[in-house]
Amino acid sequence: MSSDVLRPEEGGGESVVATGQDSDKWLTAHNDPVAGLNTFSSCMALADLSADGEIKLIIADLGSGTHNMKLKVYKGTQLSSENTLIDMPTGVITFHMDTTEPQLPAVAVASGSYIYIYKNLRPYFKFTLPTLEVNPLEYDAWNQARDDLLDVSLLYEILDSLRHEVGECGLTTRSQRFLMCPDHQSQQNFLDQHKGFLLKRQTVVTAIATLKKSYAEEEAISCLVLGTESANVFILDPEAFTILNSVSLPSVAVFLSVFGLYDVEYRIIVACRNGHVYTLKRGVKVGRPTIELNSQAVGLVRRDKNIFVATMDRNLHCFSNKGKRLWTQQMDSVISCLELIEIKSLNLRLVAVALEDRRVLIFKDKYVVDTIHMEAPVSAMLFGRFGREDNTFILVMKGGGLHIKILRRKARFAADDSSGLGPAAATRLNVPKKTKLFVDQTMRERENSIQMHRVFQHDLYKLRLNTARQYVRALETSSNPVSITQTEPLKLSAQVLGLGPTFKIKVELQNTSASSPSLGLMVVFHADHHVYNVQNSVIQVPMLVPGVAHVVETLVNNVSELGVADTVKVLVVKENSTRPVLTALISMPVADTVS
Amino acid sequence: MGLFDKLAFSLGLKKREANILVVGLDNAGKSTVLNHFKPEDQRTSDVVPTVGYNVEKFKTKSVGLTAFDMSGQARYRNLWEAYYQDCQGIIFVVDSSERLRLVVAKEELDIMLEHPLIKPRRLPILFLANKMDLRDAISSVKVSAALGLDRLTDKPWHITACNAVTGDGLHEGIDWLSQMIKDAVDKNAQKL
Repeated sequence: MSSDVLRPEEGGGESVVATGQDSDKWLTAHNDPVAGLNTFSSCMALADLSADGEIKLIIADLGSGTHNMKLKVYKGTQLSSENTLIDMPTGVITFHMDTTEPQLPAVAVASGSYIYIYKNLRPYFKFTLPTLEVNPLEYDAWNQARDDLLDVSLLYEILDSLRHEVGECGLTTRSQRFLMCPDHQSQQNFLDQHKGFLLKRQTVVTAIATLKKSYAEEEAISCLVLGTESANVFILDPEAFTILNSVSLPSVAVFLSVFGLYDVEYRIIVACRNGHVYTLKRGVKVGRPTIELNSQAVGLVRRDKNIFVATMDRNLHCFSNKGKRLWTQQMDSVISCLELIEIKSLNLRLVAVALEDRRVLIFKDKYVVDTIHMEAPVSAMLFGRFGREDNTFILVMKGGGLHIKILRRKARFAADDSSGLGPAAATRLNVPKKTKLFVDQTMRERENSIQMHRVFQHDLYKLRLNTARQYVRALETSSNPVSITQTEPLKLSAQVLGLGPTFKIKVELQNTSASSPSLGLMVVFHADHHVYNVQNSVIQVPMLVPGVAHVVETLVNNVSELGVADTVKVLVVKENSTRPVLTALISMPVADTVS
Repeated sequence: MGLFDKLAFSLGLKKREANILVVGLDNAGKSTVLNHFKPEDQRTSDVVPTVGYNVEKFKTKSVGLTAFDMSGQARYRNLWEAYYQDCQGIIFVVDSSERLRLVVAKEELDIMLEHPLIKPRRLPILFLANKMDLRDAISSVKVSAALGLDRLTDKPWHITACNAVTGDGLHEGIDWLSQMIKDAVDKNAQKL
């Protein structure tokens, strides 16, 4: 990240509301939950269609997907015009195709294998994509079928085997439809209906964008950039509608992001259906692979020197223009679309991410600076100047609702450092240079790896063995505070009270057996007589009832001239037994000598 | 106010003077409204977007008014508050045909009413629901509902539908405003 390093917000005096709760940065200008729109971000555009300073919203409505497809124009909150579309729209853009006054932008609607150009909202021109070569076998088969040399089932067989050979997309749409017919009768009908026409193989527009031709001004002439199903990217001349440049890609373009000028230098970033992102430059015929994604892209946005890609596996990635991954953020929900929010008055470029759980997150770099909660999942978003308001955010819901939000004049977006990774994560660690010693050691380790491993294992086993031996010895001599013998299950805990030189040792004995009581026990205190003088070194313990704790205590006097501390051994012994039942070692504290 | 001034007022020799602030969103018609109050020969035929602000002086029946015609463009809207200090009345112009931005007009009105220089004062506010001749225009009642004027109880206000190009409805509004200002000035004069 170089140019887009966050600057702290200049204090405007406005309080910034913490993210997480519903945003108060936006005003709801219009909310029509029953607008009945079915569209995607690529099918929406904003343009001053009548050159009166009032920007209109153009939406290509997909209707039901097969019927009722319309090109709708909204003036403010009112629907001002509707044009019927013949086929399913895949994209809408507005561009200037000439410099005649008044400068009215043209609307281009990509639909099927055609680009329909509207001027003044009237049909103006139709551009047809170049036809592709028909497979000769397929061509012959249809020709023979036309001349009744081939019957329906035979034609089906030929086309079906051809489909296995070249794939579904290698066939013409007519063959594809024919192979989709379920039974003999419908196949026969289809053949009768279509055999008289010339067989053509056409491709379909999958993505559309604009590229300024020679000047960067707002109203300069733009070329059209088209991505097609035949895995090509075409650049069209806006006046003659000829193909200026054609680039082939390994896969079909889904999203296009274009910047630069056609006559000078340009870049086209293409997200493809195979989950890769390619970059096209002026003068190249093949796209350069830039990014390999782990999943398919659902949105592509370019901001300054970064490329933002949202993928189907709920991730939002940020890459440099060269394709280096800068960061990735995982979302809680599936991402439905992505939109760039450019606020010129604040000199800000944010990225809005619409999630399936009805939230719209707004990112400033990798920080979420705002969250908008909607009533329905968002299917399309567009940010820009609408009407006379610069910062308008248009959202179309899955259920067909249209929601228009306007940014408050005093709204500010400040990054909240607590969310996401801190800036420390981005800084590199200062790794010192490798010394000669380090290199020598590394070499030695590499050469003698097996031997070193064996020595290590040998020592480890020895350590384990030693530990086990000591443990067994401890058990045998009962020098542990919990007795585990079956006959006398006992637990001992000792406490030292006082500051010295006289201490009191409290020993708590508990019978841990289920039912059998312990008889004839004695507690013996043993200490170095140079250091400690134990008042009652042997204490008789009465019968121990299971579960009840018995406390015995004695005074211990520190008699050492030097004031050193030593240990006192507490032994629990049974009458007529040579081995103690259990042993505890008490480290005595240093006595506070009386001066 | 001296004795001589009082005498002059009561005899009708000297007119009361007041400053008013004209605010509203861009393209609401503020400059066009003021253009209408100018003498016939000084009016401009094409009004251009105001940059910063303009000052216009005109006389009504009871008071002489100095109007500060503020620019409504978003980047100039923070200039408005610089003139809150010495104004005796406010004209808030709304484009009643632009439903999309009524919410923005309300937002700007709320910011203004919350300003410490406006909040404690009983300033008369005249709302002009402009462009009532347009097909998309909504009625002044709807404008007042959209702006939430029913909640504005601590200041005298008045809303009138108007057409600033032809001048319809403007005089009714300005008469109300000048009456309110005159009353306020007289009250002040009595106090002294």
